[in-house]
Amino acid sequence: MTRLFRIELIKIRTNAAFWVLASLHIGIILLVILSGKMFLRSISLNGESITNLIDPSAIPLYQFPDIWHNVTYVAAYLKFILAIYMIISITNEISFDTLRQNIMNGLSRIDFIVSKYFLILLLSFGSAVFVLVTALVTGLTSTPEFEAHDLIKYSGFIPAYFLLLTAYLVFAFLIGLLIKRTGLAMGLMFLYTLIIEPVIVFRIKTDWIKGLFPLKAINNLIHMPFGKYALREVQDYVAVKDIAIVAVYLILFTWFIYLLLRRRDL
Amino acid sequence: MVTTDGLTKFYGRIRAVDHLTFSIPEKSVFGILGPNGSGKTTTLGMLLDVIHPTSGTYSWFGNPPDKKNLQKIGSILETPAFYPYLSAVDNLRIIAEIKSSGHENINEVLKITGIYDRRHSAYRTFSLGMKQRLALAATMLSNPLVMILDEPTNGLDPRGIAEIRDLIRRIAAEGKTIILASHLLDEVQKVCTHFSVLNKGQLMYTGMVNESREEQYIEISADDMQKLLDVLVKFPDHLGIENKGAVVVMTLPGTIPVSEVSRFLFNQGVLPTHLVSQKKSLEAQFLEILKEEK
Repeated sequence: MTRLFRIELIKIRTNAAFWVLASLHIGIILLVILSGKMFLRSISLNGESITNLIDPSAIPLYQFPDIWHNVTYVAAYLKFILAIYMIISITNEISFDTLRQNIMNGLSRIDFIVSKYFLILLLSFGSAVFVLVTALVTGLTSTPEFEAHDLIKYSGFIPAYFLLLTAYLVFAFLIGLLIKRTGLAMGLMFLYTLIIEPVIVFRIKTDWIKGLFPLKAINNLIHMPFGKYALREVQDYVAVKDIAIVAVYLILFTWFIYLLLRRRDL
Repeated sequence: MVTTDGLTKFYGRIRAVDHLTFSIPEKSVFGILGPNGSGKTTTLGMLLDVIHPTSGTYSWFGNPPDKKNLQKIGSILETPAFYPYLSAVDNLRIIAEIKSSGHENINEVLKITGIYDRRHSAYRTFSLGMKQRLALAATMLSNPLVMILDEPTNGLDPRGIAEIRDLIRRIAAEGKTIILASHLLDEVQKVCTHFSVLNKGQLMYTGMVNESREEQYIEISADDMQKLLDVLVKFPDHLGIENKGAVVVMTLPGTIPVSEVSRFLFNQGVLPTHLVSQKKSLEAQFLEILKEEK
């Protein structure tokens, strides 16, 4: 098992695309969080006309316990950067013929899937740890005073974020394997994520059916938190039902991936 | 070592490989000859578990298909396949991990194939010849029982070709089985002990390279060429005599030993100054086999 993990480590260690996209992913997360913080500070310092309407310091965006929910929700938008790397990693194996060569060398198809799942777990785990540390540091420096239970409340969004990334990257794995060509696979992933599924979901009226679509289901792991600052009711917890739907999709995606590899001539 | 039974592959309605049944003996250097598109690569692809047979079965070492078999085989199919952004060493490390074989052979195979000095360069910076050498290094890496080489000298310069041939012979001498697919007849003749011919997915012929199928040619010259000719005409069983000026070429069935010719001439009072037996070249045999089937 560890040998499969080592194989993926050798592949990414000196791979420029990996380091560029991983840095971009965490760099942008950091940028979004810091710029939001600076924006809040600037309006509380200069924008008197705005502060008359709402007091920014009254919005605890960066304070425990809200920060867990807010940061993971925003960071989840940047999952696509890791998905780009995932697609490159899969389509490269096909276009370089290394998948075929590896199987000829004695890697089974299941070994291949497991090794790529290690990569997915590494990406998701790395990102989740980064978000955890960022949220912790930002929360500690932004919260005037808090108690232990404030720190822990909502921190369940970190494992939810990890699951969300994992599911989306497995989805990217499937798309890459299905389409085989890097550009085409990325195009389809964006088209489906940004247009096809949102349009279909938009036309459906019933909420629970909306939640059955794969990306909607994945995104439902972390609901939008900001409504509560306008006194709207939001789901500020990770629902077991949402986890279950994503788990079913994970199994389905894996099964499709296995079937594709099983049936296809390489 | 490997046996197949009725191995067949259809691509749509095109029959790429048609009921191949053969076995490759242990410790042989087995050449698979055939024109482009004859099914060589498809056949090897099926034996290496990357192409699904439409029907038929195969077994390695007497075992059914499994990754354990493949870990004991070093193979290249068509072109070398490596991660272009990784160094030669990293590419070999991945293969060593896949084969669970340890990394200690890496430097050695890089030295044997003559690319040790470039071991830390990215694969994409390699010339075609160096890529072929790395592919060969990869097949040797885990000390495999069987090596499968598909056109291993493609893209190499003449010195490289000679080196690779030498290498193949050396590896064969260590008691390894080598399966070599090629359309270069000369290559197969120079290194192989056995060969088979594929055409349009069908097995046309299997046999030993040195086994003369039908005929041999004997080149003879003597001081008195006219007398030589007159005597040779009387040699029993000859299939033809051709006067080429400096030498006379006599065609004989492959079963007659050359010593018989020499004794015959001696008894007839002719002393040959030059006497060479040539087996029919593989190229001639190959073209004949293909022609017969048309």
